[in-house]
Amino acid sequence: MTMETKAEMDLHDIRLHGRGGQGTVSAAALLALAAFEDGFESQAFPKFGSERRGAPVEAYVRISSSTIRAHNQLYTPDAVVIQDASLLRSEPLLRGLKSGGLIVLNGEQPAVSEGDGFRWLCLPASEIGERHLGRPLPNTVLLGALAAATQWVSLAALEKAVANHLARKGEEVVKANIEALREGYESSSISTPPPISTPPQPLFFKGEAEAVSKEEQAR
Amino acid sequence: MKQLLEGSQAVAEAVRLCRPQVVAAYPITPQTHIIERLAQHVANGELDAEFINAESEFGAASIVLGAVAAGARAFTATASQGLLLMTEVLYNIAGLRLPVVMVCANRAIGAPINIFSDHQDSMAVRDAGWIQLYVGSNQEAVDTMVQAYRIAEACELPVMVCMDGFLLTHTFEPVVLPSQAEVDGYLPAFQFARTLDPARPMTLGGASEADNYQPYRVAQHDAMENVQAVIEAFDADYETQFGRTGGGLVQGYRLDGAITVVLCMGTLMGAVADAVDRQRDQGEAVGALRLRCFRPFPVQALLDHLKGVQRIIVLEKAISIGAGGIVAAELRAALQQAEMTIPVESVIGGLGGRDLTPAVIEAIFQQATDEKIDTLNRFAPDHRVNGEVQHG
Repeated sequence: MTMETKAEMDLHDIRLHGRGGQGTVSAAALLALAAFEDGFESQAFPKFGSERRGAPVEAYVRISSSTIRAHNQLYTPDAVVIQDASLLRSEPLLRGLKSGGLIVLNGEQPAVSEGDGFRWLCLPASEIGERHLGRPLPNTVLLGALAAATQWVSLAALEKAVANHLARKGEEVVKANIEALREGYESSSISTPPPISTPPQPLFFKGEAEAVSKEEQAR
Repeated sequence: MKQLLEGSQAVAEAVRLCRPQVVAAYPITPQTHIIERLAQHVANGELDAEFINAESEFGAASIVLGAVAAGARAFTATASQGLLLMTEVLYNIAGLRLPVVMVCANRAIGAPINIFSDHQDSMAVRDAGWIQLYVGSNQEAVDTMVQAYRIAEACELPVMVCMDGFLLTHTFEPVVLPSQAEVDGYLPAFQFARTLDPARPMTLGGASEADNYQPYRVAQHDAMENVQAVIEAFDADYETQFGRTGGGLVQGYRLDGAITVVLCMGTLMGAVADAVDRQRDQGEAVGALRLRCFRPFPVQALLDHLKGVQRIIVLEKAISIGAGGIVAAELRAALQQAEMTIPVESVIGGLGGRDLTPAVIEAIFQQATDEKIDTLNRFAPDHRVNGEVQHG
């Protein structure tokens, strides 16, 4: 038996951060489902570990134009989605983020140093989520914003992914999530403040912001 | 139709399509989603099976033993400590020649407590008499599941479908699920010749003394040897019907003109293939080989793929403590038996979920090329980002 030779590499790698209960793993699945719906190959997986409400959670998405055969971890994302801004104080959330990478943040932009080349997209996703879902769930709002800013997946595909993946939770939940998704999509264009020039905060970066290995850059 | 499914869900759907009549299990991460899904199917009437919540893995294995002896197709799944707790029953299932099929969602063994993926669990029961097939993707998990029942029932040997815990079970990826009609066309209904039946009384599992115990083991060993041809034939059959192969006995990658080859099992092949591509781009004559079937150990298929190779690196996610690499030792023995003198380097890595990335595998290739592999101390180097070790 012979394994097929691979022609192309991943197009987009995304890392999602949140706390247990915020639907971070579901958001990764929805994003991968939407990419698949748009005709790409995709893969979603959580950071493996014990799951508990409130604890930091990570999930990952690979989007590619050809079969994804990698099953190792993802270290150098093109975008990072942050569902809980308080994680910025304790976790190295920007580690490995590629130069010029996108950060989609639920909350106000923190003070960061100039020169990292990162693009910030900040919106009050919990508030928007609460308005539609009755609970401060930011996940579908942030997915809408990510889709609008990057066009890596279409809004239609995301809506279809929400409809299919959340179908077992009932029509009301699907409808509310699609509304949240749409508001996130529409909010994205107006909430990209420029970076603020202040000294870097050690706890915030933990020296990992530029941490991109030569090997991974070569990919 | 191709759809994006979590590995556990994909394999549970494949099990449902095989129409098991008894499903018994005890929950353990990372296989729990498989059984949860099957329980839902039974509860919703989508699978006509008896679902039995066992009191332990020992119980779950004993239930499927009994179910198959009574002529029912049966399924169970477990991992890690759960598999070890089943060990006694696993030997009995194999010794009784009962065609049980199970999934092992490969995970590390304690102590220390660790839930992440490696191959130490299934490798620990390698001598129990089960066929062991290690899958490289969720698609292969689906295809191998369907093949597993046909192999098991045709040869009266149990099959363990080994899929990397988390790396497959918790990962969403595109999978084509066959239709019920397609699976029914490939997999005949289970007709067990030795079914326990009050109308035809017989003893199953009687005592055996020195005069005929050993002949039983010889017969088991012979059956395992012979099953290699069956695995290949049923896989070829599957390819004809479904247009996909499950991977045969071994699967090669860029072996043409390869001087140095990495041999591995399971999902590791993805990262190894990426590393091979990068090394080939730099003009290095490297290739990869994946052992899909570890038991029986497919000596001839391996040797056929290694002709002209000058150096083999066996990269494995299990260790025989005090001895080293398990696959490496078996491969060395096979090569010596065949009078093929190819040096075999044993490298162990990925234990307890430690990530084996293309960069790590490239470093191993590099050391092999530089003939410095001894400096590896027989364990894979760590993946580093900006000098900092990443543990996965």
